[in-house]
Amino acid sequence: MTRTNDEVRDYNLFIGPNHPGISGNYSVILKLRGDKIIEAKAEGGFLHRGFEKLMEERLYLQNVAIVCRICVPDPDPNEENYSRAIEEIAGIEVPIRAKYIRSMILELSRIASHLLAFGSHAGSIGLYTLPNWTISDRDRILELFEELTGGRVYHIFIIPGGVRRDLPKGFKRRVLEVVNYLESRLPEYDDLFINSKLTVKRAKGIGILSKENAIKWGATGPNLRASGVKADIRKDDPYEAYPYLDFDIPTQVEGDAYARLLVRRAEIEESIKIIRQIIENIPEGPVWNKTPNPLKWRIPKGDAYVRTESSKGEFAYYFVSDGGVRPYRVHVRGASVTHGVHILENLLVNERIEDASQIIFSLDACPPEIDR
Amino acid sequence: MDYERENEFIKDIKSVFKEVVCTVKRERRIEIELPSERLFEFATRMQKNWDYPHLSAISCVDWIKENQFELVYHFWSYNKKILVSAKIRIPREDEPHFESISSLWQPAKFFERDIHEMFGVVFDGNDDLEKFILTEWKGSPPMRKDFITRKYSIEFYGERKYNPEWMKELKKLGDSNDKN
Repeated sequence: MTRTNDEVRDYNLFIGPNHPGISGNYSVILKLRGDKIIEAKAEGGFLHRGFEKLMEERLYLQNVAIVCRICVPDPDPNEENYSRAIEEIAGIEVPIRAKYIRSMILELSRIASHLLAFGSHAGSIGLYTLPNWTISDRDRILELFEELTGGRVYHIFIIPGGVRRDLPKGFKRRVLEVVNYLESRLPEYDDLFINSKLTVKRAKGIGILSKENAIKWGATGPNLRASGVKADIRKDDPYEAYPYLDFDIPTQVEGDAYARLLVRRAEIEESIKIIRQIIENIPEGPVWNKTPNPLKWRIPKGDAYVRTESSKGEFAYYFVSDGGVRPYRVHVRGASVTHGVHILENLLVNERIEDASQIIFSLDACPPEIDR
Repeated sequence: MDYERENEFIKDIKSVFKEVVCTVKRERRIEIELPSERLFEFATRMQKNWDYPHLSAISCVDWIKENQFELVYHFWSYNKKILVSAKIRIPREDEPHFESISSLWQPAKFFERDIHEMFGVVFDGNDDLEKFILTEWKGSPPMRKDFITRKYSIEFYGERKYNPEWMKELKKLGDSNDKN
């Protein structure tokens, strides 16, 4: 058998779906010349569960248990988006205390998700201590969730009209303890990972997303802010208790994998700041405005487009009701639909094979959001 | 609330597109109903003149009773901070064709690919409409309202036998839900 020069020089390499260097059930087909990537193609569909179709056949309340499964590391923006869309169409007022509790859950979930992103990024460049640290630290947040909601990963806690139940006794104190602990851990992460010579050398200048490209290719969230755009839905299109809270939007200008890391690091600090304010200022009062019997609940005809700043970026739901007991159409715009496909395919080109999984993790794409 | 900023922007839109229906849904949300043939012109103007660099999503809704597909384009401006949802309707056929806006917004390429896969709308001008999620699926586009999952699963996997007493109870519950 003879092979042409091109066939010998160029070859395909599959990363994923069973590969430690891919973020979840996902796959990228790389076309390589030597160790340089000349083309990348994203492949999805390994975690498709047809939730959008399934939701059309279920009652409004039943769907709350489905939506959180759309994003595994950061499930709460889904519940929040879904509930807020219904509230907007049906004109349900949410009690102010519930808004604060929701914001607190969203921020805790953001920290948990950023910790996972840290761990996987560190793992992709060979620092295997950090994933163990971040996952055990994340567990402290999950324990809080377990106490509050009964579930560790999926909480099914934010429901139309408010939240399922009030904070347990002493919960505020325990949140503060965890938050203080996480803050004390940040300098240790810095020493081991962020300021480590290895990380700086490997992550700087890798996968550069310029400001123009970030906007043109539709980046959102931390990936957009690492490229120097100061945009955050919590500030620009405020929801829940965010208008009453004081926080900054961390940005970087380089747009490389290291800048994305620094933005996430700074966001953890901001989230801690937000949680402290919530604990201090949370008003007393009811946490749920009663909604009608869920078996017969009809919400008026209409549609709503709601957006949340999740840990991955812009999470949005387009919700259409035709006046029935079930949603007519729910379209989920996951934050990773741009990061995981278009941006990834473009960023990987001209990079080297050993940096591929680092770039994938630095974008923090979550495949279940793309597949739904 | 008087929605000053939103109404000002609607004035701008109305000065070019006189016949469109614009409504302010709430603060920072504008809804626009367009004739389908003017969508591309509208999208071009949104990007070039009205400072809308971010296409948030494209949603497709199957209005089977009216025999139409509705495409909803959600645009967001980082400076104006107003989200515009432009709605157009196209006839509901087996393979309806519509103009692609992927030349204006690159993320539209994947959004259109997704709609093509789930609803069967063909976007002319989009060169990548390959299947992404359902690579082995050969049937009709599954998100259409006339694709009924329960019917499909009974046809392909057979009906499950349940305790008749339970079925009676379930049917009673179902009857009270199914009046829409």
